[in-house]
Amino acid sequence: MKSSVSITRRLVATVLILELLSAAALIAAITVHEWSVQLEIFDTSLVATAESLMGAVQDTEDEGDNVMLDMRGVRLAKDAVFRVEDQGGKVLGSTGEPPHLVATTSGAPLFRNLRVSGRDYRFIVLNGTRIVDPGKANGGVRHSIAIVYGTPLRHVWHEVREAVRFFAIATAFLLGITAALMAWLVRKGLSPVHELAYEAERIGPGDWQFHAPESAKKTSELRPLAAALEAALARLQRSFEQQKRFTSDAAHELKTDVAIVKSSLQLLSMRKRTLDEYGQGLALSLEDITRLESTVEKMLTLARLEQPAERYSSSAASQTCSLSCSLRDVIADAVHQSKPFAQLKFIEVAVEINANTDVRLPIDSRDALLLCSNILLNALQHSPDGATVRMAVTANDDTARLTVRDQGEGISDEDRDHVFEPFYRGDPSRSRKSGGTGLGLSICKAICERAGGSIEIANDALGGAVVTVAFPVKVVASSTLSASLKAE
Amino acid sequence: MRLLLVEDEQRLAENIVAALRETGLAVDHAADGEAGSLLAEQGLYDAIVLDLMLPGKSGQRVLQDLRRRRLHTPVLILTAQESKESVVNLLNAGADDYLSKPFDLGELLARIKALIRRAKGVSTPVLAVSDLELNTVQQTVRRRGQSLDLSPTEYRILEYLIHRPRAVVSQQELLEHLYDFDWEHHSNVIEAHISNLRRKLNLAGTEPLIETLRHRGYRLREEAGSQ
Repeated sequence: MKSSVSITRRLVATVLILELLSAAALIAAITVHEWSVQLEIFDTSLVATAESLMGAVQDTEDEGDNVMLDMRGVRLAKDAVFRVEDQGGKVLGSTGEPPHLVATTSGAPLFRNLRVSGRDYRFIVLNGTRIVDPGKANGGVRHSIAIVYGTPLRHVWHEVREAVRFFAIATAFLLGITAALMAWLVRKGLSPVHELAYEAERIGPGDWQFHAPESAKKTSELRPLAAALEAALARLQRSFEQQKRFTSDAAHELKTDVAIVKSSLQLLSMRKRTLDEYGQGLALSLEDITRLESTVEKMLTLARLEQPAERYSSSAASQTCSLSCSLRDVIADAVHQSKPFAQLKFIEVAVEINANTDVRLPIDSRDALLLCSNILLNALQHSPDGATVRMAVTANDDTARLTVRDQGEGISDEDRDHVFEPFYRGDPSRSRKSGGTGLGLSICKAICERAGGSIEIANDALGGAVVTVAFPVKVVASSTLSASLKAE
Repeated sequence: MRLLLVEDEQRLAENIVAALRETGLAVDHAADGEAGSLLAEQGLYDAIVLDLMLPGKSGQRVLQDLRRRRLHTPVLILTAQESKESVVNLLNAGADDYLSKPFDLGELLARIKALIRRAKGVSTPVLAVSDLELNTVQQTVRRRGQSLDLSPTEYRILEYLIHRPRAVVSQQELLEHLYDFDWEHHSNVIEAHISNLRRKLNLAGTEPLIETLRHRGYRLREEAGSQ
């Protein structure tokens, strides 16, 4: 449980991390931008103050052409330092201890960041010219004035910090809202998963009904899962029901057979009887037991054939040779076996096999005989007296087909769907009058499917039913067979 | 007593019929639901043994049709299904008893006899009318404590009459209930048996028990004051 992964949490975390990264980048960009904007404003105010200092350089009231600094009307920033000098190095006025900075020759104002008495300052160095008495004939006296003016940078930093703080708080607030909203939305978006899980949880051995909720079917990511679940459960339910039906049918068959044996013996022991009566009773009981035995044998055969195929195929791979048998021989055996029954009903069995081909079936000869004789017996049972049953083998490169046609009443559509199911007799009462336990064709189907073949039953155009068995086989042409025999 | 067996399994039916006949019951056999329904609805039978899985018409439907026609013949069901549900359904549909296959033949016979007895309003296997005592298990008859030796047919006639005390039972009814379709029907057979039975019942110092009512039938008398 500790290593469990939550899609909701993962999605929310991913989105939040992305948002956080972009917010950080944004704040960095804002810091740089804000710094340059604030610095520009700062510089503008430096220039303005420096120029107002320049303007404050006035003619002295004495007769000389000296100048002085008239600080009235000049507003300095807090903690500002400045020094105004004329060309002779005479300090006209100063506050604090501004450093000695030399202006560029171009005359453009110079900006410089420096530390003064433990504080970061930004200085402007402005060189200008003041003309005293410009109205005089000589054009007045020119004074070159150098102004160094600086104010602490602390203010810019403060502005930038304020701006960044505002953005940071706003971003954090937005992130919080996003996270909550995301968690809610994702959870809501994933609700079809929960509904599907709830629906799937209700499945139990008693209730196999599963209908994927509409919400899951509408979700394109969940649709394949819902459909797969539905299909898998439907298959399971079918096979479960089949199994249940088989068990109950088998129980019914066995109980009936046991009831017959038991009643025969109990009837015999009801009172003292003559030796003849005992003899007859025992003979009948033996017959009844033989029937029970044959039912059990057929069930066991079916169970053996329905064992998982991989064990069979692995052993089959090693003994492929022993597991193939000649279809021609098998058919001959089957016809021979059923001869007494056929004669009883005056039925002729006609076998058509192309003389040049012999088909090797990829199955055990015992199973092959069981297959052929069961199909033949079924055809004989459904034929009227004096009819003909036709067996034919056709083969091409990879498939061999055995067809058995009878001249009986044919097969109804309803029966055709179920005739290969165990114990199906085409009559709900499972009357045994027609003979057999209803396992013969199921055994045929199991044999065919095991060997990768198929079996089907249809109505013949001429009336009667036709059973077709198809097998993947190798066909041995007689000529090559005889050639190889000669070679030996 | 005459009984109908509806069972499609030929060998099982043969055995049950043989066993029932050996205990002195007349038995008819129907091998499918349709025939079973037809026979059962004639109302001739004192009990019906019905298999559930029948060709043509299921045992359940045979039973339902029988009850719909207001025939109250006791019905015992033979079934190979064991689910509680189907047993409950059967009893609700009007079955009187059931046995699941494979059953014990002796138990089947005992249950059938009990059903017949109960249907005729008797709950013990020993029936008594005035000084006559009839044990249906041992199939013995005593009058005033004295054992009587009756032939099987005589016993069956007496058993039938004793189940219907004071009622007039016609020859036809006796024929219908004592013989199945495998027997030849001759009413004078009954007359002969009755006269033999009367003779054997007639002990010294007793009144005749069986009355003959001309053109109507026979009646077993209950003597007033004898008990």
